[in-house]
Amino acid sequence: MNNRRHFLRSLGLGAAALPFISNLSAFASPAALSTRKQRLVVMFSPNGTVPWDFWPDEEGATFTLKRILEPLRDFQSQMLVMHGVCDKVRGDGDNHMRGMGCLLTGVELFPGNIQGGSDTPAGWASGISIDQEIANFLQSKAETRTRFGSLEFGVMVPDRADTWTRMSYSGANQPIAPMDDPYQMFRKLYGQVKDREVLTCVLDNVQDDLKRISKIVSAADRHLLDEHATFVRSMEEQLRTSQTRDIAHAVPELEPGVKEENDNIPQITRMQLDLLVNSFVNDFSRVATFQITNSVGQPKMHWLGIDEGHHELSHEPDENKEAHEKLTKINTWYAEQLAYLVRRLSETPEPGGDGSLLDNTLLVWGNELGQGNSHTLNNIPFVMVGGGMDFSMGRSLKYPGVPHNRLLIALAHGFGHHIESFGNPAYCKDGVLTGLT
Amino acid sequence: MRPIAGFLSLLLLSATESVRADGSADPADPITAQNPVLERGRAVYELRCVSCHGANGSGTADVPAPIFGDRPTSDLADLVARTMPEGSPDDCIGDDARAVAEWMQQQFYSPEAQARLNPPRIELSRLTVSQYRNAIADLGAGFRWKVEPGTARGLKADYFAGRHFQADKRQLERLDPVINFDYRDGIPEEGKFEKEEFSIRWKGSLIPRHTGWYEFTLHTENAARLKVNDNVTPLIDAWVRSGSDRNFTGSRFLLEGRVYPIELEWFKFKEPTSSVSLYWKAPYGVKELIPSANLIPENSPPIIVVETPFPPDDRSSGYERGTNVSRDWDEATTYAAIETADRFVAGLPRLIDDKSDRDQQLRTIAVQFVERAFRRPLSDDLRQTYVESLFAATENPEEAIRRIVLLTLKSPRFLYREPTGDDDLYDRASRLSFALLNSIPDQALLDAAKSSALADDMLLREQAWRLMNDYRGRARLLEFLRSWMNLDRLQDIEKSSEVFPDFTPQLAADLRTSLEMLLEQVVDTDSADFQQLLLTDTVFMNGRMATFYGVDLPADAAFQEVKFEPHRRSGIISHPFLLSGLAYMQSSSPIHRGVFMSRGILGRGVKPPPLAVAPTAPELAPDLTTRERVTIQTSPEACANCHGLINSLGFALENFDAVGRFREKEKAGTIDPTGQYLQRNGELVRFTGAKELAAFMARSEETHRAFARQLFHHMVQQPVLAYGPDSIAELSAFFRDHQYNIKELAVEIACRSSILGWAPDTEPLTNTEQK
Repeated sequence: MNNRRHFLRSLGLGAAALPFISNLSAFASPAALSTRKQRLVVMFSPNGTVPWDFWPDEEGATFTLKRILEPLRDFQSQMLVMHGVCDKVRGDGDNHMRGMGCLLTGVELFPGNIQGGSDTPAGWASGISIDQEIANFLQSKAETRTRFGSLEFGVMVPDRADTWTRMSYSGANQPIAPMDDPYQMFRKLYGQVKDREVLTCVLDNVQDDLKRISKIVSAADRHLLDEHATFVRSMEEQLRTSQTRDIAHAVPELEPGVKEENDNIPQITRMQLDLLVNSFVNDFSRVATFQITNSVGQPKMHWLGIDEGHHELSHEPDENKEAHEKLTKINTWYAEQLAYLVRRLSETPEPGGDGSLLDNTLLVWGNELGQGNSHTLNNIPFVMVGGGMDFSMGRSLKYPGVPHNRLLIALAHGFGHHIESFGNPAYCKDGVLTGLT
Repeated sequence: MRPIAGFLSLLLLSATESVRADGSADPADPITAQNPVLERGRAVYELRCVSCHGANGSGTADVPAPIFGDRPTSDLADLVARTMPEGSPDDCIGDDARAVAEWMQQQFYSPEAQARLNPPRIELSRLTVSQYRNAIADLGAGFRWKVEPGTARGLKADYFAGRHFQADKRQLERLDPVINFDYRDGIPEEGKFEKEEFSIRWKGSLIPRHTGWYEFTLHTENAARLKVNDNVTPLIDAWVRSGSDRNFTGSRFLLEGRVYPIELEWFKFKEPTSSVSLYWKAPYGVKELIPSANLIPENSPPIIVVETPFPPDDRSSGYERGTNVSRDWDEATTYAAIETADRFVAGLPRLIDDKSDRDQQLRTIAVQFVERAFRRPLSDDLRQTYVESLFAATENPEEAIRRIVLLTLKSPRFLYREPTGDDDLYDRASRLSFALLNSIPDQALLDAAKSSALADDMLLREQAWRLMNDYRGRARLLEFLRSWMNLDRLQDIEKSSEVFPDFTPQLAADLRTSLEMLLEQVVDTDSADFQQLLLTDTVFMNGRMATFYGVDLPADAAFQEVKFEPHRRSGIISHPFLLSGLAYMQSSSPIHRGVFMSRGILGRGVKPPPLAVAPTAPELAPDLTTRERVTIQTSPEACANCHGLINSLGFALENFDAVGRFREKEKAGTIDPTGQYLQRNGELVRFTGAKELAAFMARSEETHRAFARQLFHHMVQQPVLAYGPDSIAELSAFFRDHQYNIKELAVEIACRSSILGWAPDTEPLTNTEQK
């Protein structure tokens, strides 16, 4: 959207001319304009929301944010709040499992041995997730290919692989583990660079030692060390050149020694979000998922004065006002994390382009349930922020209970990837979700 | 072809060089001084030979190939008389020919004379690839507890009623030899489990026979998790059963002679049936249930195994050695250093406790790591360079250790053998350890260097025996025996499915296992009797082998020692694996078998054929036996000289066909299993069949010398004659005096070679070299 605006401005055309221009076929197709780097972030938080503190009453461009979404107020004009989008996938597994496993795949779980609190046991999702579908699409073309294709961030994801802890799938039965250790993520992103720096120093030292030893050995043996020294020197040179070439932007510094434990969740979240922004700046990836805990997640938000685990609280009936006050606070905290990311992206200029990272990034916030105590898969609290997809932002949308598969298709279309259906085709009959552009 | 070729190929030779200005041997040479025959030989050579063959047979522009080899003098004399000098062979016959042959033999022809003329030296070497991998494994293992396999085989198994492995629901505890269970819709034991859910945990260690990639396959319709050499990340994670997947695979690179932790957790939950089987495909093997021979119930710590591929080591002198470097090698050492640093740092938490200062503990670990890698204590100066400066450069001690590991593993002090030229007891410890374990010294050996114990011959030998009896020392000997028999070359043995339909890949793998069990049997006895390898009248067989070779065993019998045609067979030369490996798809190959025996067992310097010759296909000579066909084919002069030696050894095994079965007849003909061998001392030996041939080789000094020489080269990776012109003869005598005990010989070689290192530079650099 922003790009188009910039484009128009450079043509000397103002806002008044917009409707007219949009109808010209040459300008109507996003693909024709889309040389910009488009990005997608999917953020997950668990256990449903508090509907009355989440959904705006109004529909359309004029609406008032409720408490939970309040932290995003500065970005209201770049938001879509999407009531009425439902996870209609059924089959094996309880709602927490299906909510998680089908959120991004839109397809049933396989029968399996993971037993939830109700229903039949199930296994992994039986198809690819939309983030991976889009990442594959981007990786298939030279102009959108990046080093990693996609990055899967996590925060305090339990150290067990099951249907409740995985939402990203590279294919049927192929869950992708989110990386919830910022230091590990740092190594993945910058390990090579760090290794090169360290190696350059190491090789310097090795040269010295080779020289010292070379003095001791006989002339007949010296050629071996001389040859060795030549190789070491040439590798050192290679390292110095590639160092300046590969990394255009400063490597972030992580505070050392932050342990992976409940009370460090705010700090870990912050570190991971910073790494996410950094990876976009360096164009390591254009697709990212950000999974805070897991389906049925039990963070204890002591930092908000809440001692109960989130999931435990989410089972409380609507009448328990005290519990719901806490749940609202918890969900507001998640919104704050999203707002932090949005702000960082909005403050970071698009490298080599116009505007900010936010202008070219769409953030989607989702959940495995609509509400915790009913375990409903209806009205999943979907919120989208940012200018990544040429959607018409700044609106509260009310849909009549549409399958979320249609939203997943819309995300693909946003990247110019025109799939007809995604996940179970039965939920895709009405095509891409309308009303977004 | 020039007529000279026959002579050249007989003498086993080949260089281009102009005639030397002084083109003559020194008449005052002590060898010739008091011996009239030698004096005569020298004179004949001066008169008739030197103008073409150059001083000391080193060759000239006209006849560039140098003359050296291991033929007996009588053979040489015969050849000279028949063919030399070129064009007028009558000029040098009879006593002249015998005298010149004798003189050449002693002056420059024999290996000993060559060593005297061009004394081999101990060269500075880098670690070979296997030494590198072993050193890394032992560097890490030095910080953990040590496990030596006991006699028990199989994995420790705990069976639980319930799927969560709760201690209070453990119903069975036992040793399972292999993992292959099919409970169908039932339970492991009546009355102890419920059908709906139960679980099993198998735990212990793997002892692989070979170095290489192992592919594991888990087959189950239930849930399982397999960990191999990694206690944290599963190699196979099938914990979530999902859909219809039943087979799960994963691969690990493992080194022989080491023990790796393995754990399989499995549970059934609600599925109508249950079963679990664990397979692997080992190097040279086929997919099979992991045999209990490779499973032990003891727990063990993970080993750091470098998976980075390295370029292969130079083997041009018959044994692996590290006397060259290349860009690929240098890069591989860099990647391997990074790989090791990551694994070592990941394992750090297990090496430290909460009792004392963390940083101090990490610093101690760092110093130990560097000292073990360099095989000696650190001077203050080096400690500063390799440890302290890196701790000072970063606030994060783990990162410091990572850098220390990188720097240490890229240092020439790690990568080269005894590189500082100190030639002290630490270097001695290092040489001893590399010889016996192919790896860096352990802490006990470094301590023995520190306390000067290694200066004492008896204590040195004590240490050598300790290493010899280590599990890794055993593996090192087995590795040698396999390389002595060139087993690595015998891969994927296939036979014509029309002629030998029952010769399956499984059978071929069994044959190898059977032979390796013989090697293990010899190495595992105190007498470690080399002659047993050639003389044993038993073979290890399982049911499949027994069925194929007509031995009376149940079809599903496990490997066991059986008498196998004891009146016909003897030791390795008639073992079905070698006989099948050294044969074609349909027919036997006396040439392959003969080359193995002449080159491998008797140690003769058989060179590659001078001409590329396609063997005559059996179909083109339908009436001939293999012996007849091979004899005709190798009859030309250019072939016959070597093949006289090769064929007449190989023919003695003609009673065994392409799959090593005994036969009396071939086609219409009767097998002629007679053979002969002209020894280096000129005596001719005749034999009929495998038993007589094996008996001859077992007692032949040529065999003993060849074995000692090859063992020395395998262990020390330096030319044996650099340790004195008589070193082979001395080792051979030692071998004989110690009842051909392979372990005694290995310890002797290790101790002898540990005393001597490469000579450091004693002369100042010349101007050119200083550049």
